[in-house]
Amino acid sequence: MSNSRILKSSASALAAYALAIAAALFFAFPIFWMVTSSFKSEVDISAYPPVWSFTPTLVNYAQLFTELNAWQALINSALIVGLATCIAMAAGTMAAYALARFDVKGKEFLAFEILSIRMLPPIVSVIPMFIIARQLGIFDTPWLLIAAYALSGLPFVVWVMRVFIQDIPQSIEEAAMIDGCSRFETFWRVTLPLLLPGLAATMVIVFMFAWNEFLLASMLTSQEAKTLPVIAANAIKPKAIAWGLASAAGVMMSLPVVVLVLLMQRYLVRGLTLGAVKG
Amino acid sequence: MAINIDTVYKQFGALKVVNGVSVDIKDGEFFVMLGPSGCGKTTTLRMVAGLELPTAGRISIDGADMTYAEPRHRDIAMAFQDYGLYPNMTVFKNIEFPLKIRKLDVRERARKVEDTAEKLGLGELLQRKPSQLSGGQRQRVSLARALVRNPKVFLMDEPLSNLDAKLRAVMRTEIKKLVTNLGITTIYVTHDQIEAMAMADRIAVMSKGNMVQVASPLEVYDRPKTRFVAEFIGSPPMNLFPAQIKAGGTVTCILPNFAHSLCEEERAFAAQIVDGKGGLLLGIRPEHLVVAKAGAQGATDALVELVEPLGQTTNIYVSVGDVRFVIVTDRTTAKAGDTIGVVAPSDLLRVVANDDAVVRH
Repeated sequence: MSNSRILKSSASALAAYALAIAAALFFAFPIFWMVTSSFKSEVDISAYPPVWSFTPTLVNYAQLFTELNAWQALINSALIVGLATCIAMAAGTMAAYALARFDVKGKEFLAFEILSIRMLPPIVSVIPMFIIARQLGIFDTPWLLIAAYALSGLPFVVWVMRVFIQDIPQSIEEAAMIDGCSRFETFWRVTLPLLLPGLAATMVIVFMFAWNEFLLASMLTSQEAKTLPVIAANAIKPKAIAWGLASAAGVMMSLPVVVLVLLMQRYLVRGLTLGAVKG
Repeated sequence: MAINIDTVYKQFGALKVVNGVSVDIKDGEFFVMLGPSGCGKTTTLRMVAGLELPTAGRISIDGADMTYAEPRHRDIAMAFQDYGLYPNMTVFKNIEFPLKIRKLDVRERARKVEDTAEKLGLGELLQRKPSQLSGGQRQRVSLARALVRNPKVFLMDEPLSNLDAKLRAVMRTEIKKLVTNLGITTIYVTHDQIEAMAMADRIAVMSKGNMVQVASPLEVYDRPKTRFVAEFIGSPPMNLFPAQIKAGGTVTCILPNFAHSLCEEERAFAAQIVDGKGGLLLGIRPEHLVVAKAGAQGATDALVELVEPLGQTTNIYVSVGDVRFVIVTDRTTAKAGDTIGVVAPSDLLRVVANDDAVVRH
């Protein structure tokens, strides 16, 4: 390689890095601002020009737990979203397996019907859900939101997992059945381990959707089953917005997702690049 | 173990893939199903494996009806075209898998895996993942996984077709030796006639969902019963000439010199072909034709159109009027434009039925 070409290639690499760093900063800044704001006092937050060095305070977090009852909301969120994600993953993966592997009559129509749940704007279903929940006596209980979130996560799981399953060569499963496995054993011992990256990626996305969901949570709960997004919205008070409180709530909401993504990172990188099973 | 396939049909929707296949495969036999893609050979194999269920018919293994049994209850092993290895498991775990499912003792498992791996030259590779192996090694692992549990029946679905030509020849002999030594009944599916000829005890040539001819490799080569078999097996394929059977059993051919001294057996077969019009062909292998001087006694004069010297043999493409055929000989001085004499030895001439002809048995 000649000198000019080395220069050229290193210059373009430099430009690429600069661009990547600029983009990263652009997207990271709001998060940085939220985190710092959550540790600022009321005075520091409203200071203009913005202050960059300040004495951190935990006042916002304390307020979060005393005033907004965040502890209860955190437990609610974890329970509701956790269970809903598990149900959507289990039911969705099994449905996806059937759609990918079995001769189901009207398979494509069925798959489309499942997807069509997703096409319905959530706001349309809120009123009927509200009425049904009243009738069943499950309004303002975790069960209602669990059902709602599981249902809305299901189409996504079915469609994404179907592709992941179709990506696994059928001969691997056939080999397992000939080696002595039943259909279920084949799924459990052979297919499922190969699906782990896909499962992890899908699960994180389903979890995030439900974790951040606000509309259904605010309409279908009143006291007992409130989730984190609902109480975070309570930081917007009739007279003013409590920025510190809102930031603290934001940080608390983001943390579990960050932890989850870090835990799943090993699978995510492989799962988000489809077709990781081949080769 | 003997396998009995009795008038088995398979339909996918309106598509008829297997049309009433019947065959008895003997204990310890190496049985090859040969045919072009779409002829139903793989579907037939998959029905024996239990991976597809027949639309009608009966399949029994070792006397027991297995038509609708699950694959795991058939005690069969199978090698796949794309190997079907478990990509997340090491070679050791792959080979061990069928034993693990059968809940064999851990030490017994390890011993068997190591024995089988040793036999197939995989001893060094046991801790590797399939993705770290070459195609030939992967196929060896899939054979090891199949053989480790001493199955009753071994099914192979084009196991060599993803390998390069050289490796294919090596693996061909290896598989044949291995299976013959173990004496396992084997059904082997391929579209490669050389593979079929080299390995089979018996070949079933398949076309459009039917077994057109089932016989030993040399029988299929020497006495193809139908046009499809004659043209599918052999390279270059058998020369076929339109022929007719006259009242009294005389066979006439478009090249009169060829038909005049047909042997008794072939004449009898010609008489069985009910549909005489266009239903009858005379065939001769290119290497059985003899080159003579032009105008020699009993020879047919032919015009040389093209000569292909291949080293070991030479292909001479000739024409007699509109009739074109090929002769395979040793080296020759004939060149394009020459006229040569061609003699068809009467004992090597065959009567072949056209594909849609009705043959009476």
